[in-house]
Amino acid sequence: MARITLEHVTKTFGSTTALNDIDLDVHDKEFFVLFGPAGAGKTTMLKTIAGVEFPDRGLVRIDDRIVNLVDPSERNVSMVFENYALYPHMTVFDNIASPMRSPLHRRDEEHITREVARVADLMGIDALLNRLPSQLSNGQRQRTALGRCLVRKPTVFLMDEPLAHLDAKLRHLMRTELKAMQSQFDTTTIYVTHDYMEALSLGDRIAILNNGRFEQIGTGDEIYYTPVSEFVARLVGEPEINIVDAQVTSGSGGKPAIAIASGGERRLFPIPDDVAPTLDGERNVRMGIRGINLSYRFDPADGYMPGTVYNLEPIGNKSILTIKIDDTTYQAVAPNDLDVELDSPVFIRPDPGAMLFFRKSDGVFLARHDQRHFLGENN
Amino acid sequence: MAGLTFKNVFKQYGRTKAQQVFDADKTVALDADKSVDATVRRVAAQIDNQYAVNDFSLECPDGEFIGILGPSGCGKTTSLRMVAGLEEITRGEILIGGRMVNNLHPKDRDIGLAFEDYALYPPLNVFENIAFNLRAKGLPDEEIRRKVMEIAPLMKVEDLLDAKPAGLSGGQKQRVNIARALVRSPSVLLLDEPLSHLDGKMRQILRTEIKRIHKQINCTTILVTHDQLEAMSLSDRIAIMKDGRLQQFGTPLEVYDNPVNVFVAGFIGEPPMNLFKVGIIGNARERYFHFAERGIKVRVPDKYGKAVFPGDMVVLGVRPTDVLIEPDNPAATDAKVAVFENLGDEKRISIEVGPEDYLTLITDNEKRYKPGVGIKIIFRESKTHIFDKSTGERIQGE
Repeated sequence: MARITLEHVTKTFGSTTALNDIDLDVHDKEFFVLFGPAGAGKTTMLKTIAGVEFPDRGLVRIDDRIVNLVDPSERNVSMVFENYALYPHMTVFDNIASPMRSPLHRRDEEHITREVARVADLMGIDALLNRLPSQLSNGQRQRTALGRCLVRKPTVFLMDEPLAHLDAKLRHLMRTELKAMQSQFDTTTIYVTHDYMEALSLGDRIAILNNGRFEQIGTGDEIYYTPVSEFVARLVGEPEINIVDAQVTSGSGGKPAIAIASGGERRLFPIPDDVAPTLDGERNVRMGIRGINLSYRFDPADGYMPGTVYNLEPIGNKSILTIKIDDTTYQAVAPNDLDVELDSPVFIRPDPGAMLFFRKSDGVFLARHDQRHFLGENN
Repeated sequence: MAGLTFKNVFKQYGRTKAQQVFDADKTVALDADKSVDATVRRVAAQIDNQYAVNDFSLECPDGEFIGILGPSGCGKTTSLRMVAGLEEITRGEILIGGRMVNNLHPKDRDIGLAFEDYALYPPLNVFENIAFNLRAKGLPDEEIRRKVMEIAPLMKVEDLLDAKPAGLSGGQKQRVNIARALVRSPSVLLLDEPLSHLDGKMRQILRTEIKRIHKQINCTTILVTHDQLEAMSLSDRIAIMKDGRLQQFGTPLEVYDNPVNVFVAGFIGEPPMNLFKVGIIGNARERYFHFAERGIKVRVPDKYGKAVFPGDMVVLGVRPTDVLIEPDNPAATDAKVAVFENLGDEKRISIEVGPEDYLTLITDNEKRYKPGVGIKIIFRESKTHIFDKSTGERIQGE
């Protein structure tokens, strides 16, 4: 059992505010991801929970116990860092056993043997107990390090970018492994990352940190489909979401429409019926459209904005097509065998059903089509 | 105008003679005729009794953008340095514009160089950094100004000309660095990991700009990189190296769709191609790839009918986008979802085909799958590759 709560937690380093009046409630056995750019305060928050950093103000609770003044070793918290830090001269068995042989948590050898066997079985490394770390694959090393954390039966598992130093391919494999093991952890886990794919893949919920404050806390779907701000929208997805200035106006038959500047004129796109009431009263807004929801063609058509091909980058299973309209660039996702000359004409159309609308003044999310569907799924 | 002279200056890192000559002579620039191919012809450099570059042959046509791609230690940077004259050529020839340059002084090779670290002159402003080689050559002020002002907007540094390097961001420094290489109008532009110091966003922006500049000036360009994404997105053609040897030379789509061996197959693409050692089972009519540990079998495409037989072991390669979910296909294989990841733009499903071994597939349909759920999969036949289990070479189908 471990529920973690932070109440009004503030932490400063000199003139820098790393955590700014943070409230947080992580549920028992939840896999909770802290996600954000470098310097957002993710690691500071993790260290505050671990007891390595002390908040200037506010309370840290594990279950209902206030732990502000509890020594890290007494919090029953286990931390995995970016590097696995296994003892190179010890076998897998001894590495996993090491926390149970430390002066503070010493257990008898019979207990140790039983615990190591349990954890090794869980991690699928029971055949490797006599090997040294140098004889292990990266994945096996990672599982040994995780196993070592689990023998203490921690109530809280803290992971600080455990995959960050791996190359893209290994990271994909390790993430899959971690996700496969996740259901067996049975422990509240807080996981820090700056990789949106890790966040979306692993998190039951994701908290997005920006300058020491939460921008949004929600499920992967909520964050991807209904980001609370332009900031959040830009953090998830590759290529980055396109966000441009737009005006709310009326189109054919007086129906509400969204106007986007294109080649000295304005192109109108219908505003979905369920979005229109929210945008009523707004004049200038920001329209966001993800690359996969931007259609393109190479001959003119109704409802398409004319532009030119600014770049075409094949990146394996797809290509990124960059389109320039006036001084604005849009990125669309194209098949990898698309062949087109730079600067040739291209015509694009954002799918109104996938448009995200933000307030012009502060980038706060206003609406999207079928919003309740994306949020309702988890309620 | 004040000249610059070094007199009896010493500095030693254990550098080769060629490097020392180049270092002492950084001030020099030059040009020659502009119609140029850079041909690296059977070149080998001998370092520590080992061939860092081993029987390497490559033909880069005039005006093309060529990526040399490989893991660290594969010989890609050494190849580039031999073109630049920073390394001696042990054997073989390098030609630029049909002219052998083995014994040509670096300054006479008519190349522009931009390295990963920008190496700008800190006391000089951006304009003077870009102009440096032109000044050294003794060009008149007028012409220098004209050339710098021509290149500066291309590299989008025209507003920075008075700034000192210390005040620039990494991306801006690399722009200045490339501008400095280009201002000499070289016949070959050499780029050594130009983007690897930059953060993700800046890298993407500069990648686009490098591609567009290449289109405008059409200078033969060699890019050395370990980043397959960078090579794929920039290059007209990619040379993939490993252990000093050329593995494959082709367009990005060719190396992605038709890798010649297991190494190339695994190196190109993200997430990586699924590669598994599997047995072949079945009979004369129907053959299957067999994942013995989980008892999963998937039909072998007919095109390999004369290439593999029951009892063989091969390496199977299929990309995540070429594993398809087909619930209604009677020929599809039953499998179980081990991991489902919703990454927003795409969904990934991993199927356990052995301990610690996952077959990954990518789908963009909106369906969500729970772990443990059964699905039916097939491999896209035209994109199913097999490789020899010992040599790693691709086995051709019909």
